[in-house]
Amino acid sequence: MTKRAEQLKKIDKELHLFNALDDAPKSTKGKLKDVAVSVKDCICVRGMESRAGSAILEGYTPIFDATVIEKVRKAGAAIIGKTAQDAFGFGSFSVNVGKDMRIPKNPVDKTRSCGGSSGGAAAITKAADFSHIALAESTGGSIVAPASFCGVIGFCPTYGRVSRYGLMDYANSLDKIGPMAKSMEEIATMMQIIAGYDEKDSTSLKEPVPDYTKALTRKIKGLKIGVLKNNFGKGVDIEVAEKVADGIQKLQDQGAIVEDITLPITEKYGVACYYLIAMAEASTNLAKYSGLRYGKQEKIEGTYNEYFQATRDTFNTEAKRRIIIGTFARMAGFRDAYYLQATKVRTKIIDEYKKAFKKVDILISPTMPFVAPKFADIKKLTPLQHYQADIMTVGPNLAGLPHISIPVGDDKEGMPIGLLAIANHLEEETLMKVGTKL
Amino acid sequence: MNFTSDVVIGLEVHIELKTETKLFCSCSRSGSQEPNSRTCEICLGHPGSKPVVNKRAIEFALKLALATKSQIADTLIFSRKSYFYPDLSKNYQISQYELPLAEHGHLTLSDGKSINLTRIHLEEDPASLIHPSGLAASQYVLIDYNRSGNPLVELVTEPEMTSPGEARNFMKQLITILEYLEIFDSDECIIKADANVSVKESNYQRVEVKNITGFKEIERALRYEVARQQKAVKENETIQAETRSWDADSGTSTTLRLKESEEEYGYIIDPDLVQIELTDEWTKKIEQSMPELAHEKSKKFSEQGISEEMATIISKDKALAELYESVSKKVDPDLAAKWIRRELPRVLKYAKKKLADTKIKNQHLIDLLTLIKASKITETVGQKILETLVHTDLDIKKHIKDEKLEAVADSNELEAHCKAAIKEAPQAVEDYKAGNEKSLNFIVGLVMKATRGQASPKEVLEELKKLL
Repeated sequence: MTKRAEQLKKIDKELHLFNALDDAPKSTKGKLKDVAVSVKDCICVRGMESRAGSAILEGYTPIFDATVIEKVRKAGAAIIGKTAQDAFGFGSFSVNVGKDMRIPKNPVDKTRSCGGSSGGAAAITKAADFSHIALAESTGGSIVAPASFCGVIGFCPTYGRVSRYGLMDYANSLDKIGPMAKSMEEIATMMQIIAGYDEKDSTSLKEPVPDYTKALTRKIKGLKIGVLKNNFGKGVDIEVAEKVADGIQKLQDQGAIVEDITLPITEKYGVACYYLIAMAEASTNLAKYSGLRYGKQEKIEGTYNEYFQATRDTFNTEAKRRIIIGTFARMAGFRDAYYLQATKVRTKIIDEYKKAFKKVDILISPTMPFVAPKFADIKKLTPLQHYQADIMTVGPNLAGLPHISIPVGDDKEGMPIGLLAIANHLEEETLMKVGTKL
Repeated sequence: MNFTSDVVIGLEVHIELKTETKLFCSCSRSGSQEPNSRTCEICLGHPGSKPVVNKRAIEFALKLALATKSQIADTLIFSRKSYFYPDLSKNYQISQYELPLAEHGHLTLSDGKSINLTRIHLEEDPASLIHPSGLAASQYVLIDYNRSGNPLVELVTEPEMTSPGEARNFMKQLITILEYLEIFDSDECIIKADANVSVKESNYQRVEVKNITGFKEIERALRYEVARQQKAVKENETIQAETRSWDADSGTSTTLRLKESEEEYGYIIDPDLVQIELTDEWTKKIEQSMPELAHEKSKKFSEQGISEEMATIISKDKALAELYESVSKKVDPDLAAKWIRRELPRVLKYAKKKLADTKIKNQHLIDLLTLIKASKITETVGQKILETLVHTDLDIKKHIKDEKLEAVADSNELEAHCKAAIKEAPQAVEDYKAGNEKSLNFIVGLVMKATRGQASPKEVLEELKKLL
């Protein structure tokens, strides 16, 4: 076992960040030679148990590599293991893990959540003292939220910029793969490798990929910043608001111009719209997990329906909740009022962002309204309060806009605070240059 | 709807398209019968796999839409139809819902009656379930995913057919169109129908019969269902809204489920597939590539002078129609029609072959019929040559010369053959003279044998009558 593998084992024992670990991953020549790449559990790695954080996929080892995995392998990366997450991405704190699975802990304070759903990815990015980049995934904020809570950079590209082939679906119209790292250079390097058209993903974009590393050194003089002012008031920790405001000041000092922006439709309907669409899609995606072809199997007895039922009882409470709500939202008689209505609202939300980007180049807000909460406090949240934590992140995710969480300091207790920057579609370069200025 | 006929039938037909690959992955649609050998992560529904639509399948479906004069949608949108069944790899089927590929087409039956088509859409086929010792007795089920993801077109008609025979007629016309378009092959593609059937006696209570394969079965299944319903009403039973399954082996149907309400499929747009624009430019290009269809050919043929009946029959089979079209340009259309309608199918049927699998070429028939028309060979010799052509390519003129198959045109020679035959069969001559006309045929047969079929039977008969 290599020194790095020993370190990883030690970290995992302490923080429970991995669902699978490779003791001796190979690294070959290429841009990522000797770089450890951790992979969120929901991204298929051929021959490595991949469960999307769930118990129902116990023992499942994919028969193919996700496109991003093919690409990082080609770049020489050592794939070290599969990082912990809320099962299927259903959560903001990585506490909704599969039955009998371990909850990952925040490396900054073990009594706190590392955020979700890409919790293990953010935590290992923080804890690793070797060269490491995480491949994470976001549906409604699952990259930037944990990045903010752990004090690392989380980067979520434009929907379709990175192929989803081999990503176990949460909500296909929202899912995006993106990197997490400690430096903007690493983010740009990884984006350069994984971005681009893939004929295996019909929703992937054909636009050419620019040179992201070149964007890092660009000046921000004259950059127009829209401050989402309603994300700094009620319900937001004062320290969070202050540190993000300091970050904005830092950008102004380097020549950026600031104005206030509000997004009334997104702010009012974003969370409801997001959860309706996400759950409706998720409830169809989870139908395939029935113990028939792969994953966990129950004793074969009774009728098909009895067998399906027994196997599907392996889903955790949150998965069951989302299947039920999602199925309800698309049932005849309710479909128009919920699922179809939500898709219409989504179009309005996209329009609202498009209008904002006619005025400014970038939108800024805190990533999360508070710092990483203690596990004891999470237990007190109702499901609705849990969903409300995503208020600032669901907007760009619904609109498919690229966004980034950048650490801008800690609160008094030493917990990291993240600044959320959102750019227009395919304007990843803007985020790259802003990221290096903070 | 206001029905008046004794029987009302509507069909929902599933047609497997003759593409190389499946609808959403690059696995072969047909080929190896080894179970689960033509599969990949996509048609097995593995997590993380994504569908990519087969453009060929879209074009095939568009051809059918154009041939039935349907209105084609502006965009192609796929939906997820959710239901749990072990043959469904994802427990949802990728199908089309709100906006089908095409609507409001029509198809004309052989008697000229037009049946309106509600919709035409594309969807994927589920896997096949195998019950090793029969549906009822089997203790377990095997699943073969070779079929999973095969491209199907679903075609739905309005309830406008008024007899099982009409439903059969519809299926026959449909299959003719599909084969003309070369998007379906009845030898290896599946065509299945579900039928809605109701009778006047029950005030048109609708019953669905599922799982009818092929056009011959449809008439049989529907006759059974109509009789069942009429009998039930007579015996004061209530016809229930239900779905029944047709079992071709026993020739009966059984209740699958009672319909208390509409099925719940929870449709959503499939977010893994992008909308595809069905542009005018694209459909025009497809339309230009489409062949003349059977009814157009038939019309053309009868305008050229052969009977309408003959034209209809010839044009039903694309290969025969094309052959006729080519041959009738060079030889007498009536003679060509007669041979392509009667002699050729007889020879093919006997050899159990399709025209394409024989050595018969258009030019062969042209040569053969030209010689027959000019009385250079007899029809009997012509038939024999046609039989040979099934297996062996021939230079017809050379073959006739080499084998000395020319018709006996010399009247002296014919007279000599006839005289010899009369001598051989005194009994037949006696019978003929006693008034039995038929006994002359025996003598004709003797002459034909002696001339190896090279004499014209008609001329022989005349010669014999003259001599006797």
